[in-house]
Parts: sequence; structure tokens; C-alpha cells
Amino acid sequence: MNLELHDIQGIIARGYGKHPAAAYLLLHVAEPVAARRWLGALIDRIQTCEQRPDPAVPCFNIALTHPGLAALGLDPEALGTFPTELQEGMTEPQRSRALGDDGAAADPKGTPRHWAWGGTGHQQRPVHCLLMLFAVSPAELELAVEAMTGSLADGGLALISRLDTSLLADQAKDGGVREHFGFRDAISQPGIQGLHPQSGNLPQVPAGEFILGYTNAYGLITECPRVHRQRDPDGLLPPAEFGTHDLGRNGSYLVFRQLDQRVKAFWQFLDQASRDPDGSANPQRRLELAARLVGRWPGGAPLVESPEQDDPALATENSFSYQQSDPQGLRCPLGAHIRRSNPRDSLSPNPGSAASLAVNATHRLLRRGRTYGTPLSASFDPEEILRAADGEQRGLHFICINANITRQFEFVQRSWINNSQFNGLLDETDPLLGPRRLPSGRPTDQFTIQGCPVRQRISGLPSFVVVRGGAYFFLPGIAALRYLASLTP
Amino acid sequence: MIPQSSLTIVAPIQPSAEALAGLGVALGKLKLDPAGNHLVPFGDFERLHYARFVILDATTDPSNGQPVAASLALSCCFDGSADGFLRELVVGAAEGLRVIFSHSSEGPGQGDQALLAWLRRHQIPTQTFYVNTLGRTVSQIHQEAQLRDRIERFLDAAPRAAAGSATSALRQDIQEHVRSDEALAWARQPVAPFPLAWRLRDGLDRIGGIALGLLLGLLALPFLPIFLVLLRRSEIKAPHPRQDPNFRLSQFNRRHLAQDEDFTIQNQFSVLGFIKPGLFRYFTLRAILAVANFVVHHFFRSGDLGTVRLLNLYGVDTIHFASWIVVDGGRRVFFMSNYDFNLEDYMNDFINKVAWGLNLIFGHGSNYPRTDWMVLGGARDEQVYKAVLRKYQVRTQVWYCAYPDLSAITINRNAAIRAGLFADLDSAAEQAWLALL
Repeated sequence: MNLELHDIQGIIARGYGKHPAAAYLLLHVAEPVAARRWLGALIDRIQTCEQRPDPAVPCFNIALTHPGLAALGLDPEALGTFPTELQEGMTEPQRSRALGDDGAAADPKGTPRHWAWGGTGHQQRPVHCLLMLFAVSPAELELAVEAMTGSLADGGLALISRLDTSLLADQAKDGGVREHFGFRDAISQPGIQGLHPQSGNLPQVPAGEFILGYTNAYGLITECPRVHRQRDPDGLLPPAEFGTHDLGRNGSYLVFRQLDQRVKAFWQFLDQASRDPDGSANPQRRLELAARLVGRWPGGAPLVESPEQDDPALATENSFSYQQSDPQGLRCPLGAHIRRSNPRDSLSPNPGSAASLAVNATHRLLRRGRTYGTPLSASFDPEEILRAADGEQRGLHFICINANITRQFEFVQRSWINNSQFNGLLDETDPLLGPRRLPSGRPTDQFTIQGCPVRQRISGLPSFVVVRGGAYFFLPGIAALRYLASLTP
Repeated sequence: MIPQSSLTIVAPIQPSAEALAGLGVALGKLKLDPAGNHLVPFGDFERLHYARFVILDATTDPSNGQPVAASLALSCCFDGSADGFLRELVVGAAEGLRVIFSHSSEGPGQGDQALLAWLRRHQIPTQTFYVNTLGRTVSQIHQEAQLRDRIERFLDAAPRAAAGSATSALRQDIQEHVRSDEALAWARQPVAPFPLAWRLRDGLDRIGGIALGLLLGLLALPFLPIFLVLLRRSEIKAPHPRQDPNFRLSQFNRRHLAQDEDFTIQNQFSVLGFIKPGLFRYFTLRAILAVANFVVHHFFRSGDLGTVRLLNLYGVDTIHFASWIVVDGGRRVFFMSNYDFNLEDYMNDFINKVAWGLNLIFGHGSNYPRTDWMVLGGARDEQVYKAVLRKYQVRTQVWYCAYPDLSAITINRNAAIRAGLFADLDSAAEQAWLALL
């Protein structure tokens, strides 16, 4: 089935790499009438998947939280057709517990009560709308942000926060990016059927995993939010079952988490854990240990392909699997970050088989986030990082797109990242992201490096990443945005 | 090894708001500390793996409009025989049981003997009982977790030396370390096998069951076409939740149910649903539950449910204990599961691997997503199946687990570590054993 590219927001197809400057505006709807008018005027400027982004103009994409949809005036019946997780939000207490954000398991500073935005603190204004702006240069971005913020007051919107980003270009100068710990990032993305050309030998993922209205990995159509047809007399939305119109078609869901990275603490821990018996630093072993935690070398080469050293030729290598060459984790530890967040063919049923890959395909995320803050060292040299003064905040604005938040984002976070008995392991979570305790208090701060004759285990991992904000958003199709802009009370 | 059993007591609750409220208060006390509360301190029962109290709410049978009264269920999974456990329960928690069941329509009388007799009267049979690994006792699970912990700490204490040693030297060091610890004296011997008499009886049961199954199967063969016609008619006729918009989007009662979930590695759920109306469905389900009970007892009792390599079927290794019980005079099925990780994992696992098995049993329940020929379709309708499970899930008022932070895979691995520790292994097997750590 052909994708209706003109109706799908562009951020699903691409990360706007040619627009390296970006900012995210978090907005609150104060005046629904004006906000709908503002939205209506913006729609024609929203980048879709149809056109290539024009470097001469900034690109806009927009997403709404469930309270945001309500604030715009969407009727309660339609609001009730959104998935439970969107209705309840990221900070519903039981969901927080499962995501590892809860007080008992999480770093205290990372609990929703202390978030900078989207949290449960009393003073926080609810986030209703996320406006993403992308431009070719900081100057262009500034102009676009100024013009946009200037229109907010008349548009019935209040600016809650402006989240800036800064891409960290890879030393290889090949257009690649790094994240703040110093590792090449954004290498592995699912290829979407009908949108991306086939690359490598990994199977593509059906479009319905990322775009509502198309066949998903189960051969089914993921449930869409709907409005009663009487609420859409002009027929702005396509017809759907049960006498409703389809509000979800060509839309998706967007998960946003602001992840502060404790870069110096990360390298300090590795420095201590890799010291020689006489107490002196061992930079080579430190680097090896860092790579074991991540599953790739800083330059990007996957450990399963290059277990001994970094290899620039493998910087963007992504067509590997685990079971054939490394079933026991002797090359890439079973608990390494990339092996947890995308186990590929590692897990049951029948690891190494197409069936294993098919199950893995039901838990993929389209990552669209960007880093923020200046790097502790421009060269990402651990020695420099260890000497640098660390005061400022830096990290990743993690953004992912998926059609089923529970089965995709939440599953990856809870059942792989946070699972202290993932894939036969015991008492350890994701070395970069995982909580260091179970809700019951049992410590999960270890990391096992499988080896011969026996594993090594390092203990006492502190939290290297602290959540500072987050929310679940609906990323509507263009027709759905027109419908929302046209709502009458 | 000692075979495991289950015991379920179901007693009607007095049809008054006071009784229900009083029961709520008593169960609330238990819930605060299922292991150590003063009413029924489940932690005191050394051979108890799991226990739960569940209120089966009053409702109306949708097929005939008849009321179904509310009742209280107490269900336990333990080592050894049900009768012996029931006696222990009365000795250890008579007063608490009396308090809790005093809200029943006909409460237990005074004295331990009267209580025991009352409990026996309200005991109902389990149609299908699944045990992850038959024979493994609570104390074995605790001991082997402790053994694993000791060995892991030993390796942590000398990591560089461990990495440098040869395989068999390292294993000898570990053996030496374990031998030197009197508290681990039990680990020097392998687990005792099942008693001979039990093995004989079990073997005869297996042979007899297969023979009986073949015989009944042959006798039933001429009726197969009629059965298939009835089945297909029932499948097409039954209301299908996909045609109901409410079933399509909701995780029913999620907040209400999730408040008890995700505190430990293990989770539980209780599900209560009506059987599709008509005798055809009832008898088919009863037959399937009986066959399933035989099959899981004899063929899926060592850590895996549903793997049949010959048929390229891969099963689920995250279920500890599960019970299917027909209640309310054959109208409803009460299903209890003790499983690892989150409910979403559980549902995905079953949908991805054992949808056929879910369909065979739960396909006879009202509002189950439509099956085709009993095994196809059904749970493969992913979102509808997940909605149906939440819809018929009921809150477990009190849940006790003797080892809530151990997954079945971890328990199995701990058992393999113990089994191989002093076994006679060649060098490849020695390396494989060390890889368990």
C-alpha cells in the first residue's frame, strides 16, 4: 500500500540532517479559539514526507499531548478513543514505576516531581503542544524561533520552555553525530517499508509500526483514535469503522524524554573500574570497558564485528546480528546498551532465526532526538573529559516515534532496558540508562562482561543518565491537524 | 524432589455490604504484609510457593440472566500433598482464617477440627495445574539462589586471578570454596530424586493416560465431522469483540489493576470469565482442560511451556505456576497465573509464541477474539486480545510469593549451577558450566 506522504509529518521520514540547528518549543494552550486559528495558519508550513526539506526555509513539525487535544476542544468521546497510555500520560504513578522513573528505583533527582517540564510538580503548567523547528544555521533558527514566539501571544499560547539543541559532529566529518559520552549515535534506525530503500540484509519494518493506518508487524492495523462522523460534518477526516471518522490516519505517537547525561561521572567511574592493581590509570582498558558498556566503540564500530579495537571502516555498520557469531556475549556483552535496546536475533523464539527477528521487529523505535549542551571535550577525549570542570547541563532530547507506545517505547524501556533479569542476566540493568535498584530495593547496579574462563562483573554503577522532563504526544497527520484547527465549541 | 500441588477454597460471601466491607478490612491487613501479617502469615509456611485471596464479584450470567453470587477464593501452590498442607494451614493460621471466612454465608464453626472440615467442604478441584519445574521445592529454590550468590561473590573477590586461571583450576577453586562453607553442606549432594513409589505411579499414569487418550480418540473419530460442524457454527455465531468499539482501544481498568503490578520481578494475575453459552462449549472446554492437565504434567514440567521442536513450536519459559478452575457450577472459569516481568511481556510472549495454546483454552470464553478451527486467529488479534485480558482480569486482593525477585529463568540457571558444581564434567562441559555464572 502506498503511503500518503503528503499527509504524514516529515519528521517520520527524516531527521532533517541538512538542518543542523533545531529547537523545541513546549507550549500551553491558554485561549482555545486563538490557538486553533494559530494552528490553522501554521498547517501549510508544516513539513510533510512528500517534499524534500528546502534548506532555504526552516522546517516545522507539531505534536500534541492528550491534555493539549482537550484544550483545543476535541470532544470527550474522541479523547476517549486515544490509547490508554496517551490518556494517562508518562507520569501516571504506576507507569512511572514501570518506566523506572519512580522514586524507589530512580535517581531522586530524576523523579517526575523534580522534572523541569512535563512533571508532577505543583508549579508546572501542563505541556499541551510541542513545536519542533529545524533550520540550516543558528542565525536562521533564531529568526524562525523569534517569529514563532512573536506569534504565540496572539495565538492564545504560552511558551513553557524553549529546549535548544546542538548537534555534536563526529570527528570523521562524514555527517555523523556523537552523543555526550563520546559515542557515535543515530546509526541504527529501522528501515520502514515503502519509505526507505532497503539497506543491508536486515529486514525492513512494516510502515504500520510507525504510521497509523497501515499494516503493522502483526499484519493488522493499529487502532486509531476516531471522532463521531457528526463531529466532522465537512468530512475533513477519512471515514472509519463504527460510523466514525479516522483522526489517527497518517499520524503517530511521539515520546519525548529529556535525558541529562553525567558525562564526567561516567568516565570517572570507568577510570576507577579499569585501574591496574597498583592503582594507576589504564586508558586502554578504560576505553575497552566503555565500549563493553555501550556495545560499540566510540567511533561506532560494533563490538560483535570488531571486538578488539575501534575500526573506522565499521563506523556506520548496522547489518549485524548476534546469535551466529556471539551467542554467549563474549564479543559484545549480553547486557551492553545496544544489545539490550535492540537485541536483534538474540532472544526467543529460537535465537538466530527469522522468528526471533520477527518478534524483535514488533519493538522497534524510530529515533529522532538531538543532543543539547556543549560537550565536555570537543574531541571527546576521556583524558580531557576527566580534567574538565563539569557544571553545565548536557544530554539528549530523546525523541522516538512509534504507533503503539505500550508495545514499542514502553516495552523497550521496561522489559529490556530496565529488566534486571534480561536475557539470563542477574541484578543488572542497562549500563547507561537503567535504574540501579528494583522498586523492592534490591540493587541492580552491576554489569557483567561474559568471558573465558569466566565472566567479570563490575559493581556499584551510579546513574549516568537522569530524566529531566518528558511527555507522550500525538503526532497528527495533516488532515487531522486541519480538523483540530477547525473545531467549534 | 517433591511434587507440587495446589489447593483452592471458594466460599460464598454473605450478600451484605457489611460482610464485603469487613472482608475488605481483613484482606487489607494481609495485603500490607502477606508474608508476616498476624492473620495468615504466608511466610511461615515453608513449603508454600504462592498464595492469593481473590474476591469473585457477584454478577449476572449474560446467557440466562441468572445472578451469580459473590465468593471468596483462597488459592495456594505448595510442595507435597494438599491434605497435609491444609492441616498445616489450620495449625498455623486458624484464627486468621476464621476471621476472614467469618464473612462467608456459612462461616466455619469453632475449633480447629470444625475449621478443617469446613475448608475441606469448600475445597474445589483444579482442572489444569501447570508447574514450571515439577519437584523443585521452595527450600531448594532459596538454597540454590544462595549458592549462586556465594559463588558469584567469590569470583568478584578475586576477579583478575579468576580471569587468568585455567577452566578446571577455577572450577576446583569454586568447589573448594563451597566445600569450606558448612552452611552449604547440602550443595555437595545433588537434589534427591522423586520417591520411587511416586515415579512408578507417575510412569503408570503416563502410560495409562496415553492409552486411554488413544482409545477415546479412536472412539471419538467418527464424530469428528459433527464436532467440526458444531465448532465452526459456534465460532461464526459467537459475538466477536472486534465488532465492539469498546473492545478496540481500551486497557480496561488499567489503573485499578496496575496498582498491584511491577513491584518485583514476578507479577500475577487472576482472570474470571464466563464460558460461551451452550453445552458444546462447556464439554469441549472440560475435555481440553483435562487433556491439558495431563500434557503439562507429563510433558511440560521442566521449565518450558509449549515448546515442541518437531512442530517448530517455541514455548514460554516465564510462567511459574498457573491454575485453571471451573467455578460457579460450571458457568465461569477462574484462571490464576504467576509469571515473570510485566503483563505486556506476558501477553506479547503468548501472542508471539503460543497463541494456539491460548486459543484452545480461552477460545471457549465469552468475548474472546474470534478463533478459526479452535487454534487459528484468536490471540493473534493482538490489541483485541490484550483488551479482553484486561477486561476479564480481576484484582488479586492478596498475593504472596516466596521468591518474588527470582525469574523462572534465573531459578533454572541456579539449579543448573548446583547440578553441575560437583558433577563429573569434561572440559567443554566445564566451560559451559562456568558460563552459567
